[in-house]
Amino acid sequence: MAARLLLRAARPLLAGAGRGTGLGTAFSTAPPPEKKRWLRAYLELQRLQAPPQRRSEKPNWDYHAEIQAFSHRVQENFALDLLKTAFVNPCYIESEEARRRQLGLDKDAVALQLQDNTDLAERGLHFARAYLAQCFEGAYPELPAKGIEALVNFLTSQELVSYVAQNLSIQDLALCRDFPAPPDVLQRTFLAVIGALLESSGPERTGIFVRDFFIPQLIGKDLFEIWEVVNPMGLLLEELTKRNISAPEPRITRQLGVSTVLPVYFVGLYCDKKMLAEGPGETLLAAEEEAARVALRKLYGYTENRRPWDYSKPKQGLAAEKAISSN
Amino acid sequence: MTGRGSPSRFLTAVLHNGVGRYVRQLQRLQLLFSPTAADARGARQFVEEAAQDFARQHPDVVLYYCECWGLWEGDGGGLPALALLWDGGLIASKTSEEIVQLATKLANQSGLDIIRIRKPFHTDNPSVQGQWHPLTNKPSILTVQGPRLQPQ
Repeated sequence: MAARLLLRAARPLLAGAGRGTGLGTAFSTAPPPEKKRWLRAYLELQRLQAPPQRRSEKPNWDYHAEIQAFSHRVQENFALDLLKTAFVNPCYIESEEARRRQLGLDKDAVALQLQDNTDLAERGLHFARAYLAQCFEGAYPELPAKGIEALVNFLTSQELVSYVAQNLSIQDLALCRDFPAPPDVLQRTFLAVIGALLESSGPERTGIFVRDFFIPQLIGKDLFEIWEVVNPMGLLLEELTKRNISAPEPRITRQLGVSTVLPVYFVGLYCDKKMLAEGPGETLLAAEEEAARVALRKLYGYTENRRPWDYSKPKQGLAAEKAISSN
Repeated sequence: MTGRGSPSRFLTAVLHNGVGRYVRQLQRLQLLFSPTAADARGARQFVEEAAQDFARQHPDVVLYYCECWGLWEGDGGGLPALALLWDGGLIASKTSEEIVQLATKLANQSGLDIIRIRKPFHTDNPSVQGQWHPLTNKPSILTVQGPRLQPQ
């Protein structure tokens, strides 16, 4: 392992030296140089202490090939010009122009003929939000608009989008002033990639792209982790009055260790003598709140044991056949 | 080393890879080889014969290769190296087929640390029914139990 690490570190330093000594030893009669046993550890230390470098500043970097490989990696057909535009952040253009000005170029040469990704990012954000909202409305028809908005906000939040972008190694490709790229730049770049795909492949492919990369992030997440409801009991009452069901009646169904410091209560909510939901808690109030949350999850169809999201490709052929056969 | 001492992880995938779509985790391969060394014969053959096929089969991997003179002072020439984004593998005195095999293996790897995996399966929700507690499978205290029938 150390040898491998060293190999990388040693390459730039010793690349020239090797050739020199190769020729030198052939023609000189001097004794062979002694083994520098300290060199290995020293180079390893230098490698570890070196400040992190952009991938594009290291040797072997072909931007065009990398962009092409990126589009193959996410299995989409991008228009490469649009994709390249999506990676250009406004902060990069600013910093690059400032750098050129510092180098004393004249005004015509200073201006970069580059378009930044603001427009694409806006379009991507708009599309992603609209598509996700539509998806959730289809999958969870009972979920109110506020809940859907919370889910969409969570999925398009800076934290989550930049996390996804980082794992797709967008930070290497994005042209940005700062290094490492800040999360807002990553988010903007990823949304711009979505915008570029929308421009080049149309809304259907883009919808599948958004679905494939955003919706798996909901795996293992609870509804109320994402959507903060302060008063679940009030919300439950609202929902029940909408459905013409009488108000729920909380009752203790089980309790344990009431006189100890760690009691547990189970509260069941009964509507018309039927149990709606049951939830545990350390106090009666907490248990009642938990029961209300359980009831809400059941009402909204967002329970833990819900059916997994369907990631299969939408069957155009089948839909078309049905349409033809019905005619 | 004991099981507790060695580093280990759970079975995971980057970004739930494969749930939505599969994204190849290998981004680029760098092949450094000496144009003269005997060790690098396989690497040179790979570049001449197999590299194009590999690149065609893996359009999502950028393959760089460059000739590189003596990496070590002592070595007469240099070692060929297949350097990766996260790791470097030595390909000294490997044949072309072996290099293709190695590159394909790397292309299919997830790039996560190669350490002991605790179990060949993993779930974030260990129990579907819910965790056991003292009241599991016990009747509710609201259930009214009638008098038992006396055995006749």
